[in-house]
Amino acid sequence: MTRTFTVAEMSLRELTRRRGVLLMLLILPLAFYLARRGDHLGQSIRFVCLGLCWALSTAALFTGSAARALEPRLRLSGYRTHELFLGRLVALWTLGVALSLPYFLLIRLDQQDVRYGAIAVIMLLGVVVSPLLGLAVSALLPRDLEGMLVLLTVVGLQMIMDPAGTASRALPFWFTREIGTYAIDHTPAPYLTRGLIHALVTTTLLMLVVAVAFTIRLRQRPHLRFVS
Amino acid sequence: MRPEIWLAALSDELRRHGVGPDLAGHVVAEAAAHLRDSGEQPLRAFGAPAAYAAAVADSVGGPVAAARPAGPVRLRAVDIVKRYGRRPVLAGVSLTVRAGQVAAVVGANGSGKSTFLRICAGLAGADGGRVEVHGTIGYCPQAGGTADFLRADEHFALIGAGRGIRRGEALRAGAHAAAALDWRPGPQQSRHLSGGTRQKLNLVLAALGDPDVLLLDEPYQGFDRGTYLDFWHEVWRWRDEGRAVVVVTHLLNQLDRVDVVLDLSASTAGAAA
Amino acid sequence: MDQDRRAQWLRGVLDLCVLGLLARGDSYGYQLAQSLQAAGLGAIQGGTLYPVLLRLQRSGLVTVYWQEGGGGPARKYYRLSPAGHTVLAETAVQWAAFAGGVGAILQERTAR
Repeated sequence: MTRTFTVAEMSLRELTRRRGVLLMLLILPLAFYLARRGDHLGQSIRFVCLGLCWALSTAALFTGSAARALEPRLRLSGYRTHELFLGRLVALWTLGVALSLPYFLLIRLDQQDVRYGAIAVIMLLGVVVSPLLGLAVSALLPRDLEGMLVLLTVVGLQMIMDPAGTASRALPFWFTREIGTYAIDHTPAPYLTRGLIHALVTTTLLMLVVAVAFTIRLRQRPHLRFVS
Repeated sequence: MRPEIWLAALSDELRRHGVGPDLAGHVVAEAAAHLRDSGEQPLRAFGAPAAYAAAVADSVGGPVAAARPAGPVRLRAVDIVKRYGRRPVLAGVSLTVRAGQVAAVVGANGSGKSTFLRICAGLAGADGGRVEVHGTIGYCPQAGGTADFLRADEHFALIGAGRGIRRGEALRAGAHAAAALDWRPGPQQSRHLSGGTRQKLNLVLAALGDPDVLLLDEPYQGFDRGTYLDFWHEVWRWRDEGRAVVVVTHLLNQLDRVDVVLDLSASTAGAAA
Repeated sequence: MDQDRRAQWLRGVLDLCVLGLLARGDSYGYQLAQSLQAAGLGAIQGGTLYPVLLRLQRSGLVTVYWQEGGGGPARKYYRLSPAGHTVLAETAVQWAAFAGGVGAILQERTAR
């Protein structure tokens, strides 16, 4: 347990020293919010949630790539594979929560007549799913640039595609729009339920991808045998 | 340069060059007497401390290697085969290293030295053969292996936690090992360190937690001459502590003091001497 | 004198000259350097002399002992060993022949 937390602590230290990443994390969602503030009610909320998700998954992508060089050595030093990716996730989740608080307050103060509880749920689920997406992408694609392109595509599609259509459910952040509709347009409960189920399924799938990708990459090679 | 400073530096350099403490004391005392009698400037009379220490070490012939019984096998690689596509890089390479032995892996560029080491560490797959390791492994790559945005002491804590060492102890051990390489880790992030200093960090991390087998891939990139000598001192010290050390190197002048030599350039099928 | 050539010559004969000086009596480093200079070999730096003394000590041609200086710290004294005496005697003969030959060749040049 302490090992996982040590990984988490060092990941957090690394992240907070990367000024560029931090700046992006702070400013990007704000830019999204302000861009849509003049629009019809609630668009800014949807976009700020999406912005938070994108920023957090990008941060996870960068952390994952930077950590690659160190992970084999950490394995040799005695870390188990799950301690390595869980530690990074804990760090990113912590950062995500810290990041969401000011934005939740912003919405609380700036927007009226929305279901604040549901918005908190969107942000919480977004914090959970985004690092998983970013880490999964960095585990599957070796280079930052390709990973960035994938994330851009995902977010872009999320913005363009009509959430009512079935195809859009394949996107990992669909739940933000669905629960968003529940929160802003005061639609009935099934919207919330559908959103929650989608988030749960997405979380499980992405966690599986991360676990499998890490395990394969950091597996103990069959030709090597440790004799005590 | 003031004589006291020069003499202190000479003392250091003599130790680095492997001159025993008794003889070193005599050499320093004699030089001090000469400087007192002649009244000359040390740099004029003797030259730079490192150069004079090197001349003394040459005259003395280096520390005598004591005959040591070899301990139990710590690393055994048998018939390692590795192909990149259809090109065989390693075709049946074997190496056995016991506790208290130093093995040197030599060969021309591209002969597969780094690949062989990575296979022994389990960081790369092998197409044939097997590797047995009795104990824990420490690995030092030629470059990389450090986190840009972490400080040196944070690296010590991170690696130490993996080995099950408490943080305070890991920090102490790291600082101690760094001092042996003439480095006092500061508060900078590792991306701000020079290449040579980063490699010192790499080496300290590889040895942290006292692993039984040390696999070092030409870890002295960017070391100045003094640190290079310090590095070999550490290798001998690890040997004396009973570890098995494998060093990939192409610098031959240390070879007459290693116990095992694996030459990968002789043919694609190399065997330990 | 051309410094490179002088250094080359010294490399060949310095240990023998030291043995020769020690044959006259025990001495210590600085004193030997002064004697060498007085004999016409030029200034011998400590960095050159002491490694030579160490090598002679290693090969057993000289023995060493420490002696308290008058009012100062101890000095390392060198004494010619029996083996050293033998080597000195032999090499002195060889040198006389060698130097004689060289001198004869060069004497022709200077005479012309």
